[in-house]
Amino acid sequence: MECYSEQTCALAVDGELAADEARRLRDHLATCRRCRELLDALRAENRALSESLHELPAEAASPAGFSQLRRSWVWGDLAVLAAVLALGSIGSIWFDQLSIPAALEWFNPFSLSGRTNLLLSFLDNFARGGTAMLTNYAAVVGLLCLLLLLGGGALLLGQGRLRQPGLRLLIVLLALSLPSFALERRHSEFVTVAANETVDDTLVATGNAVRVEGVVNGDLLAFGQTVEVRGTVRGDLVSFAKRIVVSGTVEGHIYTCSQSLDLDGQLGHSIYGWVQSLRVDNRGRVGDGIVVGAGEVSLEGEVKRSVTIFTGNADVSGSIGRELTMAGGSLTLTNTARVGGNLSARVHQMKEVHIAEGATIAGKRDIQVQVRESQFTRPRFYFYQAVWLAAAMLLGWLGLVLVPGFFRAATEAVGSGWRSLGLGFGVLAGVPVAIVVAAITLVGIPLSLMLCASYLAAIYLAKIWVGAFLGRILLKPSGATKGDWLLGLLVGLLILTIVGFVPYLGGLVRLGMVCLGLGAFAWQLYRVSRPAMMT
Amino acid sequence: MDAKRNMAKEAQPREGETRQMEALGLESVIERAQGHDSEALGEIYHRYVRRVFGLCRYMLSSGEGAEDATSEVFLKLQRSIESYDGSIPFPRWLLRVAGSQCIDALRRQQRGLKVFVNVDDGAAVIEAASSEPSPLSAVISTQERAQVRDTIARLPENYRVPLVLRYYSELSYDEIAQELDLERNNVAALIFRAKQELRRRLSQRSK
Repeated sequence: MECYSEQTCALAVDGELAADEARRLRDHLATCRRCRELLDALRAENRALSESLHELPAEAASPAGFSQLRRSWVWGDLAVLAAVLALGSIGSIWFDQLSIPAALEWFNPFSLSGRTNLLLSFLDNFARGGTAMLTNYAAVVGLLCLLLLLGGGALLLGQGRLRQPGLRLLIVLLALSLPSFALERRHSEFVTVAANETVDDTLVATGNAVRVEGVVNGDLLAFGQTVEVRGTVRGDLVSFAKRIVVSGTVEGHIYTCSQSLDLDGQLGHSIYGWVQSLRVDNRGRVGDGIVVGAGEVSLEGEVKRSVTIFTGNADVSGSIGRELTMAGGSLTLTNTARVGGNLSARVHQMKEVHIAEGATIAGKRDIQVQVRESQFTRPRFYFYQAVWLAAAMLLGWLGLVLVPGFFRAATEAVGSGWRSLGLGFGVLAGVPVAIVVAAITLVGIPLSLMLCASYLAAIYLAKIWVGAFLGRILLKPSGATKGDWLLGLLVGLLILTIVGFVPYLGGLVRLGMVCLGLGAFAWQLYRVSRPAMMT
Repeated sequence: MDAKRNMAKEAQPREGETRQMEALGLESVIERAQGHDSEALGEIYHRYVRRVFGLCRYMLSSGEGAEDATSEVFLKLQRSIESYDGSIPFPRWLLRVAGSQCIDALRRQQRGLKVFVNVDDGAAVIEAASSEPSPLSAVISTQERAQVRDTIARLPENYRVPLVLRYYSELSYDEIAQELDLERNNVAALIFRAKQELRRRLSQRSK
């Protein structure tokens, strides 16, 4: 009997051969060794094929599954934001517990609304070419710019390899500091790119109102009260403004720090930023994802990928292609909301999450209530405080051994009271400006980094001098030995640490401590350098 | 076929899972999901998202397209799970739904052109058995499986999709024919030719 074809044998091993033909094949196999071998080989082939396929492509093989597939870039982006915000919080931590009357809240540079108002007013002044009140705002703006630079830089250095969004942000920010970089700068009350106009370079626009109705082929760096994109920006939009409206197209990313951002046009990639109010209109479309910290978020349009928001209040009635991750106050998903992946929310109270019956969520709902446990109940808190105290003592001892005269004199200088306080406040506010000014020129960047490191070190050392001074006046030691000085330091630091945790008063005390210490340090530096200058 | 048994197939809860839904058998989870229980739907997503994404990734050329298709499958599942009657195992049913989603996506990409064409002559591929056994098993056994997957990913859609539907989704020829809107004979011929092409490409790579 003639042998069966390979395709017939393939049908047989796939179980797709008609019953009578399969029976005839079985009869034939009993007598034909060659066909038996062919069938065995085809079976092995099917098995190998199936096993190979079931191992899944690399990107699907992550143990945590689909939800992790795009985490890498999300984490990268989050790190950019986190670095910026974390560094920002270092500067603002002393102010957090200040009790400021509501009427003066706008003046507090470390409250969200106050900071935005200050920043925007500064930009307005800057745009108008005025210098009034510049010094009041420069510290805030300078600090923000510096934090952005440092955050991006730290991320790039820390990760060992370049994350694209972080890299882009850094390049754009560095572009600002390079005078020779090919930029087109426009500055007037109203900056407009007309509908029939095309700008081929990156455009830096400062003005009361910036409006793009034509095409910008590079990035758009826009600073002003209102920034409006009705035309097309082919690159990124980097904007610090009171109000940003994108009703046209931005093909790149949006990086922003603004009071409000309304998107009812098309965005090619992602939004990264810090805004008071973010709204993606029902005509708005985000081609990638959103990573923002915001007071209010309203998503009515389409976001192609994941949304990660830290917000007071989020309303979702549009479509999110992947995951929705939210931390903050309240979350509402209406009947029309669609989430193509998991929903993760961290809220303070379960009643703050409202998910309508008609809302469609493809993945898991993971809603967790975060109860804030007092730090004083955790042993870890006391351990860290002890470590910090020991580190400060060690540093004080080292200072006393290595530069005894300077340390003792700086301690004494704290006693000058108002002089140290005023000088310290000036240094605290002024040095960031100097850092930014130095960073604006390429050659000044190392200088600005050194200045920044010294600034942070001095802020830390401030508590040592103030602590030592406080201890000395309390203990009133008869001698002036190292032991007396160190004992005074211990007592002083203990008092400062404890008082620092008193609500409201603690923040004020810490601020005063930093100003006094910085002032004493600056005064002592001045005294030490004066003879050198005179010679 | 026992529908209940099919529902429960491949549904053993993972060891160490303590949460209630994760500890439930697939049968119970599906029943709850059919009653629009969001936790149950979330659990199905959790259990099968990787497999569905794997299929979409094989069938579609881009990772982003595969993610879109995966999301769409689970969004539609919220409604379509009501139509699951247990006549086939749930994973196979789900992969069939996912396969349809991918085929729709491929058709949209081609803007109405026919994606899956009949082979010129199904009978022409019926050939006499060669004197040697098929070489593919030998090729696969000596090569990295990743290379096999990579080669499959580079096959033309006409070959790749039926092959993946057969050996990943484990659909029958009739089911594939239905999905691709082809004759059963043509599905058989496409799968056969796909394997021949795969052998040829793997042999070339190994040289």
